[in-house]
Parts: sequence; C-alpha cells; structure tokens
Amino acid sequence: MVGKIKKYLKIWWIMTAKVTQTAFVSRFGAAIFIIGKILRFAFFLMFLLILGSKTHRVADYSIFQIIFVFATFNIVDTTSQFFLREVYRFRYYVVSGEFDYFLTKPLSPLIRSLFGGSDILDLPILLLSVVFIVYSASQIGNISSPFVFLYIALLINALAIALAMHILVLGIGVMTTEIDHTIMIYRDITQMGRLPVDIYREPLSWILTFIIPVGIMITIPAKSFFGILSPQLVVLSLFISAIFLIASIRFWHFALKNYTSVSS
Amino acid sequence: MKKYILIIKNVWSEMTTYRLNFALWRLRVNLQLLTMYFLWLAIIPTSGQFGSYNQSLMLTYILGGALLSTVIISSRSYGVGDHITQGDLSNYLIRPINYFAFWFAQDLGDKAMNISFAIFELTALFLILKPPFFIQTDPTFLILAAICAFVAVFLYFFLNFLIGLVGFWSPEVWAPRFIFIILITFFAGGLFPLDILPAPLYEIFKYLPFTYLIYFPLKVYLGQLYLQQILQGIATAAIWVLILYLIVKFVWNRGLKLYTAYGR
Repeated sequence: MVGKIKKYLKIWWIMTAKVTQTAFVSRFGAAIFIIGKILRFAFFLMFLLILGSKTHRVADYSIFQIIFVFATFNIVDTTSQFFLREVYRFRYYVVSGEFDYFLTKPLSPLIRSLFGGSDILDLPILLLSVVFIVYSASQIGNISSPFVFLYIALLINALAIALAMHILVLGIGVMTTEIDHTIMIYRDITQMGRLPVDIYREPLSWILTFIIPVGIMITIPAKSFFGILSPQLVVLSLFISAIFLIASIRFWHFALKNYTSVSS
Repeated sequence: MKKYILIIKNVWSEMTTYRLNFALWRLRVNLQLLTMYFLWLAIIPTSGQFGSYNQSLMLTYILGGALLSTVIISSRSYGVGDHITQGDLSNYLIRPINYFAFWFAQDLGDKAMNISFAIFELTALFLILKPPFFIQTDPTFLILAAICAFVAVFLYFFLNFLIGLVGFWSPEVWAPRFIFIILITFFAGGLFPLDILPAPLYEIFKYLPFTYLIYFPLKVYLGQLYLQQILQGIATAAIWVLILYLIVKFVWNRGLKLYTAYGR
C-alpha cells in the first residue's frame, strides 16, 4: 500500500513538473493569469468591504466573519483546482481517444484523470487565502484550539466533497464528452458559498446545504470555527460527504463500463 | 448585406447544432444571475435601503443587468485572437467581406439567440420568484436607455476586438482576455451598481468605458439621472466608441504589417 502511494506521488510530482514547465513557456501569460486571479480575489473582497461599510452586518454575520467565509471558499475552491486541474483537460482526452491509453497503463485511470498535473498558478491565491483566514480570524477573536482542529477537519471533509464532484464530472464526461460546462456549472454553484449559505432564503439555503452541499463545503467549516455549529451537523456533514464520495466512485465505474472508445 | 445576414443565420445553425452546449451555457448564465439575485435579496430587507437603492430598485437593477448583459456582453468576436494566432485570418483577408462586419454579424447572431432565450428564462423567473420589479413608465427614460444600450453594443464590440488584436504580437491571447473578463465582471456594473462604490472611485469610473456598458443604461432606465447627466453620459460613451474605433483601426493596420499567417 505504502509502495503504491509512493508510486502515485512520484507520478503526480513528475506530471506537475511537466505541467508547470508548460505553464511557464509563456511567462507573460503566466504572469497575466496570476495577476487576473489576484484581481478577482481583490475585487470581490472590495465588494464585501463596501457591503460591510454600508450594512456593518450581513444577516447575522459581522464583516470579518463574512471575509473569513470568503477566504474559506477560496481555500476549498483553489485547493481543489490546484490538485484536480487535469479534470479541465479531460474532454480532450476523451474526444481525441487518448483516454484509451489511460486505461491500458498500469495506473488507476481515475487517479490519472484527477491528478494528472497540478496548476502552480493557483498557489498565490492559496497563500493569499491563508493570509486572509489568519487575519480575519485574529479580528474575530475568541479562537479556541478545538474549534481550529474541527475547522481543519471539516475543510478536509469539504475537499472530499469537491473530489466527489470532480469524479462525477469525469463520469459525465466519459458518457457524454461534455465536461467544460459541467465543471463550470459546479463552480458557479459553489460561488454561492462565497457568503454563508444561511443568509439565502429557504428553500435555497436548505438545497445549498443538503442537496448541493456547498454549505457543508464552506459555511459549516466556517461556522465550526466561530463555535456556532451543532455536533449533529458535524456528523451529518461527514455522513453526506461519505455518501457523495461512494456514489461518485460507483458512477465512475458505471461510466467506464459504458465507455465506447468511439473517438479512438 | 445578404452575406452578413447569412453569417447571422450560420451562427444560429451552429448554436442549434450544439444544443446541449448552449443549454448548459444558458444554465450557467441563470445560475450566476440567481446568485446575485438571492445575495441582494438577503442584504436588503423588504423595507430596507442600500445607498440610493431600495429592494425593488436593486432587484430590478440585477435582473435588468442580466438581460442587458445578454444584449451587450454576449459575443463571438473573442475568436479574433485565435484567427490571428492560428493563421485562419488569411482565409478571411482574401474573401470579399469586411472582417469587422463579419465579426459584428457573428455577434448579432449570438446576441439574437441569447436574447430570445433570456426573455423566455426571465419571464419564467418572474413568474416563479415574483420579484418586486420597478417598471419604468416614462417613455423618455425608456428611449434614452435603449439609446445607451445601442451605444454600449458598439463600445463592447470594439473593446473585445481590441483585446483579440493582441494576437498579432503574442500567441497568448487568452491571458489578456482573462483580465478583461474580470474587469468587465466587476466594473461594467453587472454585479452591483457602481454608485455604491466610494465617491472618489466612482468619479474616476465615470470616465472609463466599462461604466457605460451595463451600469449607465440601467441607471437611465431606473430614472435616477437628470436629463443633462444622461446626455453627458451618452456623449462620453459615444466619444469612447470613436476613440476605440480609431485605436482598433490603428492597431489592426500595424498588426497586419506583422502578420505572417503562422500556423497555415
């Protein structure tokens, strides 16, 4: 098992190094993309600050709690993009028939399709998000270490849901060759989590928590940090993410059985 | 004229060929609209106020912004850069068509298709959500808002075209477009009315072309500007159209001298 993990880590490292080299072929392009990502982060933050300056509180949240949620959203969103960038390239592999080679190699085609090279251009936003989490947490105050540990545990849980969603997208891609819009729809929905989902009216808030678990991915970890989360919700979050992960892996296997290799 | 009408028809045929692609694109557009709609619904209570906007005006702004984005921002001319970098431009230079009019006709086809769907979708959303919509009854404001939107179509076309012309100097055409999209998203006024920004910032924005894409036509529709301010705004937008047209012409002529039909 350890040997297998080592092998996959080595493959991930080699592929990430190659993807990074490709990204920096045009240094101008890489710099512009990084600047663009930072601008997007900064502009939305500015929007939140304007909201804060005019309303002081959004629903029951203070402005620093809102910033904390926004930074948490960025951590989850950017970490999943950083590791799972290959999903965005998956359509090409299916329509060109290259996916057949994934299936014939002594590697898990799922792991190859998910972790085939991380996007180094996401790292600055990841660091920026951590800075804003620490800063907003220091402004919120009253931090206790059990809540910090619970927050980190629920962040890992959120990444498991993100992983499940990406597996689902891959499965849809194998069956229909439609990837680009599906992954962007997932991202558009998660954008609703840039703010705590309980500020939205019912039934939207409920849907965003339990059906499309954006709330479990972002709001619930943040609420655990604020110390306003019930233990039942923690258990429910873990349960829902487990269900999502199992269902998505099953769907992937189902999609593979229906793969016709028509493009090759 | 006949050939440009044919181009418009071709865009329709193309869009109806890739129906799933288009349907998912429209789904994404509506998800983005709903995100902002529910956000503002949460921020401004029924009897509340945010700057010069009550809930009804703000929701009208957001829904109107969605329709206007479809009219103004939806376009095809983002393909100019790819034409240049892949050498496809050569095919068009030797044909008896005006390259600018070719892309404008493509844009019109795209806009017409998107508008027809947006009207249907927004009607459905109105029936479901029953938002407190502000209906402008003064024909002067309606006509002036339509004029502003008409000018904005040309403004966006030349801005978009100009970004594509980067392709003459760099193969990296998507990176500048990424920044452009981010700037448009925040500074055209689709997410929030620009006059909620701090006054000094808003004063600068008045002189930028982005302001006249979505924010200004909507502000005119809402009847929140005096006639003199509206005429001043239309004049500023028209001057920007002229300036951008001259810049595009200049850059196009310079670029053509460098064009090597690389890729063909």
